[in-house]
Amino acid sequence: MQITGQLALTVLMGIFLVGVAAWLARVENWRSYTPLASGGGGAHGTGHAEKPSGVIRWLTTVDHKDIGILYGFFGIISFVVGGLMVLGMRIELFDPGATLISESFYNSLLTNHGITMLFLFGTPIIAAFSNYFVPLLIDADDMAFPRINAIAFWLLPPGALLIWAGFLPLGDIVPAQTAWTLYTPLAAGVGNGNQANAGVDLLILGLHLTGVSATMGAINFIATIITERAEEVTWANLDIFSWTILTQSGLILFAFPLLGSALVMLLLDRNLGTTFFAVEGGGPMLWQHLFWFFGHPEVYILVLPPMGLVSYILPRFSGRRLFGFKFVVYSTLAIGVLSFGVWAHHMFTTGMDPRLRASFMAVSLAIAIPSAVKTFNWITTMWNGKLELTTPMLFCIGFVANFIVGGVTGVFNASIPVDLILHDTYYVVGHFHYVIMGAIAFALFAGMYYWFPIYTGRMYQRRLGKWHFWLTMIGTNLTFFSMLILGYAGMPRRYATYLPQFSTLHQLTSVGALILAAGTIIWAYNFATSWIEGPKVQDGDPWNLEETGMHTAEWEWFDRKIETAVTDGGEEESVVADGGGERDDA
Amino acid sequence: MTTRIFDRETILDLTVNFIPLAIILFFVVGYAVVNPFGWDPLASGLQFALLVVPFALLAVLTYLSGKAISQAEDERPVYLPGQATVSGAEPIEERESEGAIEGDAGGES
Ligand code: HEM
Ligand SMILES: [Cu+2]
Repeated sequence: MQITGQLALTVLMGIFLVGVAAWLARVENWRSYTPLASGGGGAHGTGHAEKPSGVIRWLTTVDHKDIGILYGFFGIISFVVGGLMVLGMRIELFDPGATLISESFYNSLLTNHGITMLFLFGTPIIAAFSNYFVPLLIDADDMAFPRINAIAFWLLPPGALLIWAGFLPLGDIVPAQTAWTLYTPLAAGVGNGNQANAGVDLLILGLHLTGVSATMGAINFIATIITERAEEVTWANLDIFSWTILTQSGLILFAFPLLGSALVMLLLDRNLGTTFFAVEGGGPMLWQHLFWFFGHPEVYILVLPPMGLVSYILPRFSGRRLFGFKFVVYSTLAIGVLSFGVWAHHMFTTGMDPRLRASFMAVSLAIAIPSAVKTFNWITTMWNGKLELTTPMLFCIGFVANFIVGGVTGVFNASIPVDLILHDTYYVVGHFHYVIMGAIAFALFAGMYYWFPIYTGRMYQRRLGKWHFWLTMIGTNLTFFSMLILGYAGMPRRYATYLPQFSTLHQLTSVGALILAAGTIIWAYNFATSWIEGPKVQDGDPWNLEETGMHTAEWEWFDRKIETAVTDGGEEESVVADGGGERDDA
Repeated sequence: MTTRIFDRETILDLTVNFIPLAIILFFVVGYAVVNPFGWDPLASGLQFALLVVPFALLAVLTYLSGKAISQAEDERPVYLPGQATVSGAEPIEERESEGAIEGDAGGES
C-alpha cells in the first residue's frame, strides 16, 4: 500500500516535470538565444534581439548584461542579509554581557556574516560589473560561453539557500558556528558541541556550489578576454578593469578548486569517518594550510577588480589619464602571482617551523609593494588634476584613503613579532574591514554610481549620493578605527561578550555600524526610486567625458542604444538635457 | 630581437615588478647568511623553495606580459585604454604630438 502510494507520487512528479519541460520548450525558442557568432556587422553586443518578456526573460536569459543585472540583484540581497546579521551582532555588543542574543546565536551570525559577505556578496557583485561591462569594453558580442555564464549564476541561489539553511525552520538543523574559516576539529564535528549537525554540512555544500559557480565564471572570463577581443583591443589597449578581471579569474581558477577539494575532504571527515584533518590522520594544520592557500588569494580575488574600477573611474574625474597605466597592469599581475606565496601569514601563531614562517613573512612584505605602487599611481593621477567631486569620485577617493589604512595595518600583521601580539584580536578585524568595507565596497559603490545611467537609463539623486558617501565614510572609519584600537588594547575577536573596560570602544564601533546602516538605507532608497522614476539620461555622455577626451567604449555603446531607443519613440516625461548634470554642482 | 622588444621604455615600466623581486632576493640572501634556526634538509629546503618559486613565477610572468604588451604596441596603434573601439578616437602618439592632452606627467606614452 505504502509502496504504491510512493510510486504514484513519483509518477505524478515525473509527469509534472515533463509538463514543465514541455511548457518551457513552448514558450521558449531556445535557439534565438545563441548570440550572433560574428556576422553581426557592427551590431556591437546586441546579439539578443528576441527576448521573451516578463519573468521568463530573466529565468532564461544568456545575455551578459541581463546576467550582470541578476548578479547585481543577488549581490545586493546578500549584502542586506549579511548586513542585518552584523547589525544583530553589533547591537548585542553595545553592552558587555550576552543580553540580547545567546552566545551560540552570536557565533552563528558571525559565521554567516563572513561567509555571506565574501562568497554571496563580494564575488557575485564583482561578477555583476564584469559580466555587464567586460564584453562592452573589449567589444565582444557576448561572453565566450553564454550558457555557462547563465549556469554559473543560477548555481548561486541554491548555494545561498544551503548556506543559510541553518537559520530556516527545518527541524533539527542549526546554523554553523565555525567562523568563516571552518577550522578543524570544530568544523569536523568533533567534540561535545553541536557542530556535527547537518546545518554545517549544508553550509559546506552551499559553499561548494558557490565555488563551482565562481570557477565557471572565471573560465568564461579568461576565454572571453583572450579570444573575444575586437582586433583593435590589443594587449596594449586593454582597459585596466578587464586586466584586473583577467588576473582575478586566474586566481579563481587556481584557488577555488582547491577550496572545493578541501571542502569535500571535510565532508568526508564529517560523514564517512575519513581522517584527513583528524589528529591521528592529516592533522588540523592540514586544513589551515589548504584553507589559507585558497583564503589569501581569495582576498585578492576580492580586491583586484575593485582596484581596477578605481583605476578606471578615478582618472575620468581628475581630467587626466591614469598615471603610470602600465605600472598598474604589471603590479596587478605581480599581486596575482605573489598572492599564492603568503598564505601562512594567517598561521604565524600555530607553532609552525620558524624557517617557513620567515619565508612567508618575506613574501608578504614583498606583496605590499605592488599595492603601494597603485596607491601612489592614484594619488599622482589626482595631483594637480581638475578634480570633480561627483559621488563616484568621492567613493574613489574614499577607497584610496581607506586602502592606505587597510594596507599599512596589513604590513604590520605580516611582521611576525607584531603579529604574535595582534593575531586574533580586533586589530585583524579592523585591518581586513578597512580593506573589504573601506576599499572594496567603496569601489563597488563608485562603479554603481558611475554606470548607473548605463544600466538604468536614468540618473540617481546627487544629494542623496553625497549623503550616502559621507555617512559611509564616517561610519567606516568610526567602526573600524575603534576596532584597531580595541585590538591594540587586547580585545580578542569572535566573542559575544567582553570585559567592561572595552565598553566605550565597543559602543563607538556599534554606533559606527548604525551610521553605516543609515547610509546604506539612503543608498537603497536613492537607487530604488531613481531606477523607477529618475530623470532619463538623454545622451550617451552624462559625465561629459568627451570634453576631456576620456570617452570609452561602454559609453559609446550606450549612446548608440539611446539613439536606437529614441527612434522607437519610447518617451516619457524626459527631464534631462544636461544628463546627470552632477558635474555642474560638484 | 629581445633588445628591440625590451626597449628602455618597457624596462622602465617593468621596474615596478623588479622591486618585489629584489625584496625576495634580499631575503634569500639574508636567510642564507643569518640562520638562527639551524639547517634541516626538509625545513630549510621548503624555506628557500617558498622564496624561489614565487620569485621564478613572478619573473616569468613579468617577462611574458612585458613581451606581449610591447609587441602589441609595435604592431598596432595604441589608444588610451578602453578607447580602441571608440569611433573618432585617435592613437596616443598623434594626440601627444598635437598636445591634445596636457599635464600628463607620466603614463605609458
Ligand atoms: C597589503 C597587503 C596585505 C598584507 C601584508 C596583509 C596581511 C595580513 C596578515 C598578516 C593577516 C593575518 C593577521 C592575523 O590573523 O594575525 C591578515 C588578515 C587578513 N587580511 Fe590582510 N593583508 C593585506 C591585504 C589584504 C587585503 C587586500 C585584504 C582583503 C581584500 C585582506 C584581508 C584579510 C583578511 C580577511 C584577513 C583575516 C582573515 C581571518 O583571520 O579571518 N588583507 N592580513
Ligand atoms: Cu592573507
